[in-house]
Amino acid sequence: MSEKKRATPLLDELKKGPWPSFVREIEKSAETNAMARDTLGQVERSYEDKISHWKHGGLVGVMGYGGGIIGRYSDLPEEYPEVAAFHTYRVNQPSGWFYTSDILRTLCDIWERHGSGLTNMHGSTGDIIFLGSKTEELEPCFRDLTEHGFDLGGSGSDVRTPSACVGPARCEWACYDTLDACNDITHTYQDELHRPAFPYKFKFKFSGCPNDCVASIARSDMSVIGVWKDNIQIDQEKVREYAANGTDIEHEVCQMCPTQCMAWDGTKLTIDNANCVKCMHCINVMPKALRPGKERGATILIGAKAPIIGGALLATVFVPFLEMKPPYDDIKELAEAIWDFWGEYGKNRERVGEFIQRVGLGNFLEEIGLDPIPEMVAHPRTNPYIFFEDELEEEEDA
Amino acid sequence: MGQPTVDEVANAMFDLVKATHGKKNLKAMDLTKAMIEKFGADAVDKKLCKLAIRQLIDSGRCIYSYFGGSFITLPPENEGGG
Amino acid sequence: MAVAERKTDIGPPDFHQFLAPIIKKNYGKWAYHEIPEPGVMVHVAESGDKLYTVRAGTPRLLSIVTIRAFADLADTYCDGYLRWTSRHNVEFLLTKKENIEPLKADLHKMGFPVGGTGNSISSIVHTQGWVHCHSSATDASGVVKSIMDELYPHFVNMDLPAKLRIAFACCLNMCGAVHCSDISVLGLHRKPPRIDHENLPKLCEIPTLVSSCPTGAIRPATWEGDPSVEVDESQCMFCGNCYTVCPAMQINNAETDGISIWVGGKVSNARHTPMFSKLVIPFIPNNPPRWPEVVEAVVNIVNVYAKHARKHERVGEWIERIGWPQFFKLTGIPFTKYHIDDFKHAGETYMRTTQLRH
Ligand code: SF4
Ligand code: SF4
Ligand code: SF4
Ligand code: SF4
Repeated sequence: MSEKKRATPLLDELKKGPWPSFVREIEKSAETNAMARDTLGQVERSYEDKISHWKHGGLVGVMGYGGGIIGRYSDLPEEYPEVAAFHTYRVNQPSGWFYTSDILRTLCDIWERHGSGLTNMHGSTGDIIFLGSKTEELEPCFRDLTEHGFDLGGSGSDVRTPSACVGPARCEWACYDTLDACNDITHTYQDELHRPAFPYKFKFKFSGCPNDCVASIARSDMSVIGVWKDNIQIDQEKVREYAANGTDIEHEVCQMCPTQCMAWDGTKLTIDNANCVKCMHCINVMPKALRPGKERGATILIGAKAPIIGGALLATVFVPFLEMKPPYDDIKELAEAIWDFWGEYGKNRERVGEFIQRVGLGNFLEEIGLDPIPEMVAHPRTNPYIFFEDELEEEEDA
Repeated sequence: MGQPTVDEVANAMFDLVKATHGKKNLKAMDLTKAMIEKFGADAVDKKLCKLAIRQLIDSGRCIYSYFGGSFITLPPENEGGG
Repeated sequence: MAVAERKTDIGPPDFHQFLAPIIKKNYGKWAYHEIPEPGVMVHVAESGDKLYTVRAGTPRLLSIVTIRAFADLADTYCDGYLRWTSRHNVEFLLTKKENIEPLKADLHKMGFPVGGTGNSISSIVHTQGWVHCHSSATDASGVVKSIMDELYPHFVNMDLPAKLRIAFACCLNMCGAVHCSDISVLGLHRKPPRIDHENLPKLCEIPTLVSSCPTGAIRPATWEGDPSVEVDESQCMFCGNCYTVCPAMQINNAETDGISIWVGGKVSNARHTPMFSKLVIPFIPNNPPRWPEVVEAVVNIVNVYAKHARKHERVGEWIERIGWPQFFKLTGIPFTKYHIDDFKHAGETYMRTTQLRH
């Protein structure tokens, strides 16, 4: 611990400016932690060399689990011995990222005992990230975490840590209990989360309304987005108040409605609800005057992913409207039917969305037992190459 | 042949992982499919295989690895040194 | 080993125990919210209760020293209740309006800006970079810090036509939703892996390595009599998966790695349906520690958007209205052959109408 701090002239440049600095964060931990000190040294070295100095390690983990730890090693272990092994923990966050000061201190104390004292709040999937553990600390840190009520999240070919928007805890637009659904699904699928048995990762994300604050339509294999079926609730008095306070209701609201289903005559706002596509725009602009309807549930979409390997995909509508009540049997049944089929026939690293494209959405639906409906497509096919059933069977045998 | 026990399936899986080590990486589903082929679909199912994999991992005979996808593999030798 | 007492599969702690009493009481019964000033929200419940949220930006990478300081602030001003957002902002959940100003002052003193609400630029969702990932084509935290230093006024004010979401990823794996953001900054490798034939047989299992390549570009080969691999360079898309499997397949390249910029994506369903981000700048070389060319490019796009978009229009909606030719003209960004898609279904992105602006 007596070792002198290395000079870090390049990183010092990133302490300047008004935005909070990650370099200062590493320095704060480096005052008492040798691993954080070597992190600074190695990152400075990357800034000199314009290259990463980390290596991947695929064989570390805690006993019995196949997920939750990402193996990491320095390629300059002689120079930065304290970060020779520098593994990451994914610690499953509480739904909605809610904490008390006490539980945060508990987490900090655990991480002070076992690692670098550096974290990400939070990782891209939503986990609390503990950055930088030595191999021999993995198991003791895991014990310490579980003793205090925390468990690891997912990594590899398993259910990834589900996440949820703030939902009914603070948002007036939540059309179902995102936090409870997320918590319930996470607990139901602990085995699938910790013991990778799928072709590749499977993500759940829960957004309470079509604003989709957790990007579920772009990032999750099963995207659960809250929505309502009946009429938008209007408080005409409040609409007039917005108008009086400078909101240009004709231009900012009616004309920006994607289906042009609203009309404003200067005193009264009318909505043709049958043609409203529940996009949230008007509600976002006038939250005091408009609210989602009362008959609430969620749309279930399947198969979003980032580009690797077959190109990026947005999720596809599978169930236009589902009531979202515990114990959420309907979405569990759907998820399990998907896992069964994709689990057996998916290739290594093939996400559900890519698998659906390979086998065809129509065939996929048939296998998991869902009826095709027009809501699932932007429009019907434009090419005439239809594989009628008989031909299809021959294809499969070939 | 009657229904194999979880231990028997786990042992058969272990033999397969050993036999393919260094040649082919196996995923949980590869092991499951191989066992259904070996013992017959009447004798083993996905559930039994899942229990067997858990047995295999919890006993320390195999570990999960991650190389662009999760696999089930033998633990590294002389791990203590590394 | 005392295996018996080892707990597994307990899952995350139940969130209910971390909810403030006012949240428990009004759970699912919020009526509306307002943003009285940047970084401050008030949520009003049907019961009339008011919950004040103070939101502050963070660098995502946090020392436990800072987290403890946040915990202390929460104890002082809001009975210890706080949360994080999906964009790495910390939020303090207050019931006493009079605590807002002193909390803001303390955050300011600690160097954490209050903002990121409404029509602002919130914190940049980003990845690990040189701080912790092996396959990063650039650093993440340093680029993000450099960009946010310049865009800071848009974080602490709400002066844009609509909200503007920026995301950053340091390689094609794109941890984070960079494929659907208003502005995406993406690190790219541009050369196939360099094979260290000498060490490869010692470090890596060849069959595993061969099967790691998503495009099938890697084949077993012999090198000076020893087993190794070769890469069909025409099939390589520089994803770095092989390097993840085998350290002898070095994908990182100090000379040729760098950054690309994409715009016009969104995930929200409001007005226009969700959209992917589209390529606008194929490559900018890495220039640490502050990547001035990248910062300048992002600031330029933000400025042109701020000047020309209509109220409520996201970047992608604005471009769709004015057309891509106009976007390239207004921003002064050159259009090249790299902008034209040549992957699967590329033809869907070609213009096949005479509806053009002249
Ligand atoms: S997704 Fe909708 S319900 Fe959830 S926090 Fe965002 S706006 Fe609120
Ligand atoms: S929610 Fe969207 S589609 Fe429905 S009325 Fe409002 S703006 Fe129109
Ligand atoms: S985007 Fe790529 S380089 Fe960056 S953290 Fe993710 S995998 Fe690593
Ligand atoms: S970088 Fe990707 S595409 Fe290129 S050889 Fe490696 S694994 Fe294959």
